[in-house]
Amino acid sequence: MTEKTWMYSVLEAVQWEMRNDPAMTWIFELTPPVATNAGMPVINLETEFGRRRVVNTGIDENWMASAVPGAGLAGSKAATYIPYQGAGMPYQVIQNHAGKLRSMSGGRASMPVVFVIEMTGQTPGFAGQHSDYEVDTIYAHIAGVRTVVPSTPYDAKGMMHAALRSPDPVVFLYPAGLRMLSEEVSDAPYEVPLTKAAVRQEGSDLTIVGSGAGMPEVLEAAATLTGEGMSVEVIDLRVLKEMDTETLVTSVAKTRRLLAVDQSYYTLGPAAEVVARCAENVEGARFRRIAFSDAPPPASPEMFTWMRPDATRIADAARRMV
Amino acid sequence: MEIGSEIANRPRRGGEDDGRTGLSRRGFLRVAGLAGVAAGLAGHVARADGQIGYFAMDLPDDRLAGMLRTILRIRWHERTMADRMLSDPSYRAYNHFYAGQEAVATGVCAALRNDGPFEQIDLVYSTHRPTGHALAKGVDMAKMQAEMDFRATGLNGGYAAEMHISDPSVGFIGADGMIGPGHVIATGSAFAFRARGSDQVSVVFGGDGTYATPHFHSALNNARLLDLPFIYVLENNLYHQYAHYSYSCPHTDIADAARAYGIPARVVDGQDVFQVYNAAKEAVDRARAGGGPTFIEAKTYRYYNHLGAPGAEVGKLGAFGYDPLAITSFRPEREVRAWMQRDPVDIARATLIDWGVLTAEAADAMEAEVRAEVDAAFAWAAGQPLCNPEDGLKHVFAEGEVMPRQVA
Repeated sequence: MTEKTWMYSVLEAVQWEMRNDPAMTWIFELTPPVATNAGMPVINLETEFGRRRVVNTGIDENWMASAVPGAGLAGSKAATYIPYQGAGMPYQVIQNHAGKLRSMSGGRASMPVVFVIEMTGQTPGFAGQHSDYEVDTIYAHIAGVRTVVPSTPYDAKGMMHAALRSPDPVVFLYPAGLRMLSEEVSDAPYEVPLTKAAVRQEGSDLTIVGSGAGMPEVLEAAATLTGEGMSVEVIDLRVLKEMDTETLVTSVAKTRRLLAVDQSYYTLGPAAEVVARCAENVEGARFRRIAFSDAPPPASPEMFTWMRPDATRIADAARRMV
Repeated sequence: MEIGSEIANRPRRGGEDDGRTGLSRRGFLRVAGLAGVAAGLAGHVARADGQIGYFAMDLPDDRLAGMLRTILRIRWHERTMADRMLSDPSYRAYNHFYAGQEAVATGVCAALRNDGPFEQIDLVYSTHRPTGHALAKGVDMAKMQAEMDFRATGLNGGYAAEMHISDPSVGFIGADGMIGPGHVIATGSAFAFRARGSDQVSVVFGGDGTYATPHFHSALNNARLLDLPFIYVLENNLYHQYAHYSYSCPHTDIADAARAYGIPARVVDGQDVFQVYNAAKEAVDRARAGGGPTFIEAKTYRYYNHLGAPGAEVGKLGAFGYDPLAITSFRPEREVRAWMQRDPVDIARATLIDWGVLTAEAADAMEAEVRAEVDAAFAWAAGQPLCNPEDGLKHVFAEGEVMPRQVA
């Protein structure tokens, strides 16, 4: 057990799976599969497994995203790491092929593949075409693909093991704003299920639901509110598809108040789905959601930071509900 | 597809060459140029293609000197930016540096129509490394710098910043932060020009990394199929992001790929602004005459790493240190220094002095003027107001603003 960063934890899982499956491949561009961690050996998938299995491609996310299901259909486990600039490029093949092939083949096609999609573009300074405030929403929307967004190094490692062992294609969103997070993570392999939200803090006055890069802000707001005497339950979605309705409904049935928080655009974001599922199942509860406005993120830090649903805004919204 | 000599003999059509009457006093130089005047400039100028018309020699002095001035303006903007990034912790702007490649943007844009009504000027689509293209096309330096510094009065009101700047008023449709889509979009502008009978030209700048994208191939195929007035300027600086282009392209000359699409292609020395101009002039003439697209591969080099100034030092040109992001392949210092021996500033300056266009003293004076202009642009930008936070909800649609959703 060692304190590890998000990416080290993830690559540790990938390295273990690749050591145990000589057919497994990894495709990247720009971002080499290399991670270092204090007190741990350097992980470098490219040098360890060679360029036949670990490929540095040109700037062609279409190929990266297509080659992975192709490898899967041929019987190989495969994964690709799509950097943030190309988060939308793989959409067609994930939406129209990876997501549909099992169904349209009557269950005959199987793709044990993972698309790691980096969301650096939710951090300040990444404006315009370098922002990504729609990625979680669009991948959560499509059928046939498991979309997860772990927010801690522990979950990231366990969900990567689970994703690589799953017979279904998995979109593994990487909220890169969390790259500096670290926590105790086991050196041994383990799985975190691809079907469960996590209750991060128990409470009875209000449920706050967040996900991915938004979780540190949600937890900070919850700490502030707890200090003020509010009893806050915090849920980290972790899984966008298929969303864990049971955990959400159980919580809101108890607290009767739901504040759902998105770091992505307001319209049709994960928070909208959270509210809808709880509203369908809990009578008489109060619902609110806050999100990034439906506006492309501007470059100016003054505009950008004002538009974020940060800890202060989350706490303000919570106080108005309780 | 070597049809340069044919184009060279075509009567001039006026416009940006302004059709000045009579053979210039450099007419003799042109003849000498075709015979290989490069010999007289040994060590400074490398001729890539003997069949190309040497149009630059026919230009009036002020336009030739203007090219050197543009190169210097780009260079000193870059150097000032790098120094500020390295020395001033409060400085917020960032850059993908263009230094080393100045002759490409300058030579291409010198062959374009950059002034006049929007319906008549040529359009340029740029990359995530846009400052050189922007300045060469005529974007105001001070406003551009204010934009890069996230100011409300910047070129795009603080919404864009470096990788996303644009200024349609001079035909700079803008930086494309992505690799690929802009190239296809640029063919759409060329398609519109052809459809409405305009003689405008659409130019896209791309790097060696674009070869791998599907967009590269779509742009070339459709430009050729429709004979669009489209010029693809591929700046081969050997590295896409942190990887050598041999990771993503099997060709030594990426121009070979364009020829496979049936598009006339030239490989030029991207360090020599006059060679670049000559190739661009040929391409523009072809496009305006309805002759379809052209591909120009300029062999060049960037003096800094992919992003920002890691490895650079205040007051010194270029970055030589190890870039921590360049894990897979990084640039040997010897390679950087070798390319800096063929510097676009030095080549343009030496050529103009050799041609008698400028004296060394006049070139020095020009550089001093440029440095003062750059300093003034940075000072003006730094004094501009910051953005109003609430304005982030504007410009989503043509009218009105969207609802704030970060508050309950």
